[in-house]
Amino acid sequence: MLGFLSARQTGLEDPLRLRRAESTRRVLGLELNKDRDVERIHGGGINTLDIEPVEGRYMLSGGSDGVIVLYDLENSSRQSYYTCKAVCSIGRDHPDVHRYSVETVQWYPHDTGMFTSSSFDKTLKVWDTNTLQTADVFNFEETVYSHHMSPVSTKHCLVAVGTRGPKVQLCDLKSGSCSHILQGHRQEILAVSWSPRYDYILATASADSRVKLWDVRRASGCLITLDQHNGKKSQAVESANTAHNGKVNGLCFTSDGLHLLTVGTDNRMRLWNSSNGENTLLTGQARSLTPVIPALWEAEVNYGKVCNNSKKGLKFTVSCGCSSEFVFVPYGSTIAVYTVYSGEQITMLKGHYKTVDCCVFQSNFQELYSGSRDCNILAWVPSLYEPVPDDDETTTKSQLNPAFEDAWSSSDEEG
Amino acid sequence: MQKWFSAFDDAIIQRQWRANPSRGGGGVSFTKEVDTNVATGAPPRRQRVPGRACPWREPIRGRRGARPGGGDAGGTPGETVRHCSAPEDPIFRFSSLHSYPFPGTIKSRDMSWKRHHLIPETFGVKRRRKRGPVESDPLRGEPGSARAAVSELMQLFPRGLFEDALPPIVLRSQVYSLVPDRTVADRQLKELQEQGEIRIVQLGFDLDAHGIIFTEDYRTRVLKACDGRPYAGAVQKFLASVLPACGDLSFQQDQMTQTFGFRDSEITHLVNAGVLTVRDAGSWWLAVPGAGRFIKYFVKGRQAVLGMVRKAKYRELLLSELLGRRAPVVVRLGLTYHVHDLIGAQLVDCISTTSGTLLRLPET
Repeated sequence: MLGFLSARQTGLEDPLRLRRAESTRRVLGLELNKDRDVERIHGGGINTLDIEPVEGRYMLSGGSDGVIVLYDLENSSRQSYYTCKAVCSIGRDHPDVHRYSVETVQWYPHDTGMFTSSSFDKTLKVWDTNTLQTADVFNFEETVYSHHMSPVSTKHCLVAVGTRGPKVQLCDLKSGSCSHILQGHRQEILAVSWSPRYDYILATASADSRVKLWDVRRASGCLITLDQHNGKKSQAVESANTAHNGKVNGLCFTSDGLHLLTVGTDNRMRLWNSSNGENTLLTGQARSLTPVIPALWEAEVNYGKVCNNSKKGLKFTVSCGCSSEFVFVPYGSTIAVYTVYSGEQITMLKGHYKTVDCCVFQSNFQELYSGSRDCNILAWVPSLYEPVPDDDETTTKSQLNPAFEDAWSSSDEEG
Repeated sequence: MQKWFSAFDDAIIQRQWRANPSRGGGGVSFTKEVDTNVATGAPPRRQRVPGRACPWREPIRGRRGARPGGGDAGGTPGETVRHCSAPEDPIFRFSSLHSYPFPGTIKSRDMSWKRHHLIPETFGVKRRRKRGPVESDPLRGEPGSARAAVSELMQLFPRGLFEDALPPIVLRSQVYSLVPDRTVADRQLKELQEQGEIRIVQLGFDLDAHGIIFTEDYRTRVLKACDGRPYAGAVQKFLASVLPACGDLSFQQDQMTQTFGFRDSEITHLVNAGVLTVRDAGSWWLAVPGAGRFIKYFVKGRQAVLGMVRKAKYRELLLSELLGRRAPVVVRLGLTYHVHDLIGAQLVDCISTTSGTLLRLPET
């Protein structure tokens, strides 16, 4: 570590290298810390967590009781012991509270003035943070499992919504209505995610074992359906192209957007990568835009068994800013940590009493927050340097060099 | 792979130790190595549990030369170079002796060792000396280790049971139990498949279960099986033209008719011969003729061995005890064969204890 610092100081190494190395070291040391706590407000299990991308200071949580709570994660007290307090909450007494369980909450990607929440009561609500009033409500025919708004897009304000029906709906926040419907799936959509790299690329995961990638500008169907056998096996029957052998529960892009992780009820996690990300927009043609991601295939990484019994979506997350990225997957009542590109299981974070449903990573401080059905949110904090245990006094005393032994006697009388 | 079998011997020896604790063993060797360290007059390092070691801190402490509780404040400069020195080695050797039997053991020490193992890499300091004794172990993923694992597992296959009509089949999950890093194992198996040394075959009972067979064995057995039958010609044509060319698990209609020039009648011959199994309209899996019996014994045996663990008190069994038990009649392929498969398929958790490896059913 000192070597890294001096190399950075003298200019021998890129400052980013020290940052990545230190981030990785901190992520490897994640553990429960008695000094860090999150205030317990929810009366039901916690389904979703989201940390705002601007500052990483405020966290939203949505519970199965329909309650949404806003926490302040920053420790402004001068003490090491800190409880993340709830700044405000939308409780059962609020007139606009969701009637059933809240499945997904997400901050507005560009500032903390707004957030969206979707729930089993077939609505997607857009909230104003300062007044805690709903600014807009979108109603659907089926229960909403998941929604996502693009974190990088500046050109559109579309929220992709996955419901129990097979159609993915895109709602436009500017106009206040549903602008698109994406057809192609056959069963309920359990997870949706926009790419953090391209404005218009959306990935959707469904209970029919398929993961589809869409370019929302195209009028025709999806770009690609991910095939776990990489297209080598049954091409004769298009319907056999599945991403998993069971329902696909969770989707997560890596922070650079070049890889996609999917988790399914066949107890597998798969990594998909794109061949090249170059924009092959053809000039001079009036036809529709060519796809940005020409092909997507499965990277040969084997994570082993990733237990998944969830009937709804599973929200997992990838670290950001480390030299080797880590994925944190809820695994029963623990959280399993794997390296993304080598598939090695680093550790299992144990601490919850019941099934863990969601986790989020705060990349500024390399902290992990996880919510579970036992109504707790736990904060996993990088452990500080371990104090050197001093159990060696007895063994080394005998080896003490006689020149350093003190000649004082401990008794007063003899002196 | 020698070490692996010696680990089985260890398992059996341990059962004898319990009756006769005075015999030497792993515990004694541990203290012996500690003694030699002190005898050399090296700065007395604490026997730290490896999980608590912070290897990246070693150089700093070494350079300072002043050790907490150490007497040599002056600290010879030579000693500061010994970053990851001997005291760590006996501990690693000891703990790795315990993890040799089944490398995929879950152990909190191993887990935090693995975590700290990543740290030196990120900081760019190479810990070669510390990893020396561990890397020399063949189970830790040498380049050829998947191949060695496959050959070793082939020895476990009971040839006599099928009157030599079936080539020895090994499962992918068994390879995972011997090569702990699955991604590496997958990659090596894929290389072997591309070189044409092994064929991977889909065993019908589970979409994930793949059988691995040496190509030569497969070829000889298939030819012997179809000797003198009406479909012999089609089978020979298939073995000669398709097998070397296409290393996949399955074949498509257009691939067979256009690329390889098979007529529909010939494809029917191949299905009758048992070389191809119908997957869906217009595609077929590669299959082993006569593998039905093997699959039946395998599925029954797997359930029986799992049942042995399930019926045990607390649903856990020491590996040595499981192997020492009499195999139920249903288990025709051998307990060792099934245990490898269960561990590799993660149907049991492998926990390393002071009495040896423990197999426990997962809670879910």
